[in-house]
Amino acid sequence: MRQSFAVGIGGAAGQGVATPGDIFAKVFSRRGLHLNAYNAYQSIIRGGHTFLVIRTGADPITNIGDQLDLLIPLNQDTMDRHLRLLGPGGACIYNADSIRPGTATQGVQLCPLPVATLADITRNKVAQNTLAIGAALSMLGIGFQSLESVLEEQFKKKDRSVIDENISVARAGYDYATQNFKPFAQPLAMTENRYAVLSGNAALAMGGAAAGVKFYCAYPMSPSTGVLHWMAEHARKANILVRQVEDEIGVINMAIGAAQAGVRAMCATSGGGFALMSEGLGLSAQAEIPVVVIDCQRAGPSTGVPTKTEQGDLWQMLGAAFGDYPRAIAAPLDIGDCFTLIPEMFNLVDRFQCPGIVLCDLLLAEGRLSVDPKLLNFRPPIDRGELIVSNGAADHEPYKRYLITESGVSPRAIPGIPGYTHVVSSDEHDEDGVLISDEYTNAAKRRAMMEKRMRKVSGIEASVAPPKLQGPANADVTLVGWGSTQGVIEEACELLKDEGITANQLQIRWLVPLHGDAIVEILKKAKHTIIVENNFSGQFARYLRSETSFVPDGSIRKYDGEPFMPHHIVEAVKEQLAGKTKLSVPAHEVMV
Amino acid sequence: MATTLEAPKTPAPKTNRLGLQAVDYRGAKTTLCAGCGHNAISERIIDAMYEMGVKPERVLKLSGIGCSSKSPTYFLGRAHGFNSVHGRMPSVATGALLANSSMLGIGVSGDGDTASIGLGQFAHLMRRNLPLIYIIEDNGVYGLTKGQFSATADVGSKLKTGVINELPAINTCAMAVDLGATFVGRSFSGDKKQLLSMLKAAIAHNGTVMLDVISPCVTFNDHEGSTKSYKYVQEHEDSIGEVGFVPFFDDISVDYDPGTTYDVQMHDGSHLKLRKLHEGYDPTNRIGAVKALMEAEERGEILTGVFYIDAKRPSFIDSLNLAPEPLATLPQDRVRPPRRVLDEIMQAHL
Repeated sequence: MRQSFAVGIGGAAGQGVATPGDIFAKVFSRRGLHLNAYNAYQSIIRGGHTFLVIRTGADPITNIGDQLDLLIPLNQDTMDRHLRLLGPGGACIYNADSIRPGTATQGVQLCPLPVATLADITRNKVAQNTLAIGAALSMLGIGFQSLESVLEEQFKKKDRSVIDENISVARAGYDYATQNFKPFAQPLAMTENRYAVLSGNAALAMGGAAAGVKFYCAYPMSPSTGVLHWMAEHARKANILVRQVEDEIGVINMAIGAAQAGVRAMCATSGGGFALMSEGLGLSAQAEIPVVVIDCQRAGPSTGVPTKTEQGDLWQMLGAAFGDYPRAIAAPLDIGDCFTLIPEMFNLVDRFQCPGIVLCDLLLAEGRLSVDPKLLNFRPPIDRGELIVSNGAADHEPYKRYLITESGVSPRAIPGIPGYTHVVSSDEHDEDGVLISDEYTNAAKRRAMMEKRMRKVSGIEASVAPPKLQGPANADVTLVGWGSTQGVIEEACELLKDEGITANQLQIRWLVPLHGDAIVEILKKAKHTIIVENNFSGQFARYLRSETSFVPDGSIRKYDGEPFMPHHIVEAVKEQLAGKTKLSVPAHEVMV
Repeated sequence: MATTLEAPKTPAPKTNRLGLQAVDYRGAKTTLCAGCGHNAISERIIDAMYEMGVKPERVLKLSGIGCSSKSPTYFLGRAHGFNSVHGRMPSVATGALLANSSMLGIGVSGDGDTASIGLGQFAHLMRRNLPLIYIIEDNGVYGLTKGQFSATADVGSKLKTGVINELPAINTCAMAVDLGATFVGRSFSGDKKQLLSMLKAAIAHNGTVMLDVISPCVTFNDHEGSTKSYKYVQEHEDSIGEVGFVPFFDDISVDYDPGTTYDVQMHDGSHLKLRKLHEGYDPTNRIGAVKALMEAEERGEILTGVFYIDAKRPSFIDSLNLAPEPLATLPQDRVRPPRRVLDEIMQAHL
């Protein structure tokens, strides 16, 4: 089992949950530890509630785990809701002046801080937060110096007096805990490694920069807005043209206009915005202009739950735009993959001149993960496919934008090059770009053009590797997931092993092309197959069945807005292997 | 005695300042109805581009969907083209011209494409002041779907079927002035001289040019009772001022009386000469422009001419302070942010 330590900090909006979160994340990452963080917003009771979990450890931490080791409730509500998540050996640090402790599990240490005695709360409104951080680090056996340097950095834009004030309050908490509280049994590990801490949205944006994206546009929509923020913040330095547009119809068409002019263009949205992009996606396909659209899924339909995660947009992606057309759809497996996938997707859509969809979700987009900087290749290969960017010296045949070729790919010239003038269009056209409805609606030309475009499908499939089984062969159970569930399924497999059940994992990254034959080849050898996904209807299971006729032995689904935790999967697998059910819908505990 | 007959000399073909002939600006044969106003507009665009000496390969023709949006095929066959989706040309044009501002963009739309399905896009395009000539070929009906009213049809206008339009027309010119377009005018496809001068001035302008060109639909909206018929427009046209244009490369100087003519010096050094027909009309005053448009509407008259011009406001491209080198033509080794910038970005995440 992986060694890890999880901190939960909760409070009402405005109580400052984010800052302690940032401080903990920095302290952990400076110690060379991995971390995974997820911020859950809860929209019950007065004015909302935020609960941030940061899990850290020397091994890769792929999800927020099953339980807390430390709880810092900033209000009574958090104490009441989350105290039970602490197991033996855990601790709860709270403001003794304003919060009544609840009944904790045996072996949980309750650590009341006399906040008004330790700090001047008339001057420092968030003194309780800073005191708690100081206390926590003392109990974790971390020297005060590491906290001091992080505080210096955290408040570097503030006055010296503010920095000093925070350091002295943190020191008071630290010293008080040293004298009054029992340290954790295991001091926090430390390594020589250094990781970057990224949100999925930042990773998607940075992946775009690495891919040579020169044009990014978006309409703000949770949970994808972080991509726009990153792009806007770095636009000038990174020489990327970034525009906020009036709506998503404008967004995709603007990206297509820029892409036709010759740049790599990208945009991001969530399900509702993507619905408006459907028309433009068809334009990209018909006019054969490559564009990359990111969909950060949130719980739908309609406005749905803007702050909650789901893998519910798959069929929208599969059915987006009318008519048949080549495209690529991929779901990143984790936050590091958000970075890696973007240049891959651009190379693919540039080569095959079609739209590409990156199917991310709130869990990754707004989550945080430590990523080894060595894995972030800012110089990935750029393959723009058959792109004509200059007139050249030699004479050439009269240019046909939609030349019929064996691969289905026609060399694409950017506008402005004499000798390569051409028309692109949303109407069906002939090789010259002349609209076929402008002469006779020519059945032979329509057929030839349709077949030309659809020939790209086999090229796209050949360019993407089929998925591989992870874990031991001949396992008792094979868990199939797609996209962001990679980490939690991986940990569930390890936990199952501890309980004597061998499990392996088939994680799908490329949804189109699917490589259905390769998937069935793997799954038909499996003893027991269960598809795990964060939606109601089993969207991937239905897709796999429609493409391959494969039906799994069981399904684990979750559609309450929260991500899977490892024990959800472990318990569901056990009940399914015991023959109790074929469909498990784990209940999400109060941890949100 | 044999006499040798000299072959008759063919006069050298007329060329423009680039040495190109008018034929170099033609497009494919039109498939629109004979007599369609749109064909006349295509001809004026050919004339204007030829006379201004625009290099056809530098032009990007953009359109949406509809009869109007088919027409870019019928002019400038040597230019690049993008037939986009219904009502979406403004955003396609914005993306294309931001990525490559060295192109001259000309967008052709219709009244359905602009004032109904594309109204949101139109409004936001006007706000940007993107350097783009935006032409509405305005006939008040949907032609390709057989003659339904569009949102620029006037109250009381009658369809062939006898249906009367009850909703007020969207005044695209007043909207454009209000929203920030820097060159707004209306013309009539049947008025060769005025339309040609306006198009030439449009080519010289650095910013969004919005031209609403009334262009009668001979098949569905040219009958008695229509307010967009040739006859009705000829009878109700009221010009706000005669439009004269002197391109920067012409040194012919004609004296104009400043009391009767408004002289606007344009971005490229050309001059737009607006002879005042409405007393006291000032084409640099937005409020006056909207007022004149509304008053004409009240009178049931079709106001034409250049209503508003601001030759000084920076275009979208200028205000974004883009590097002169278009992003679209950056060599591949320079499309990524420099190493130093990436290191700086990574440092912030460590």
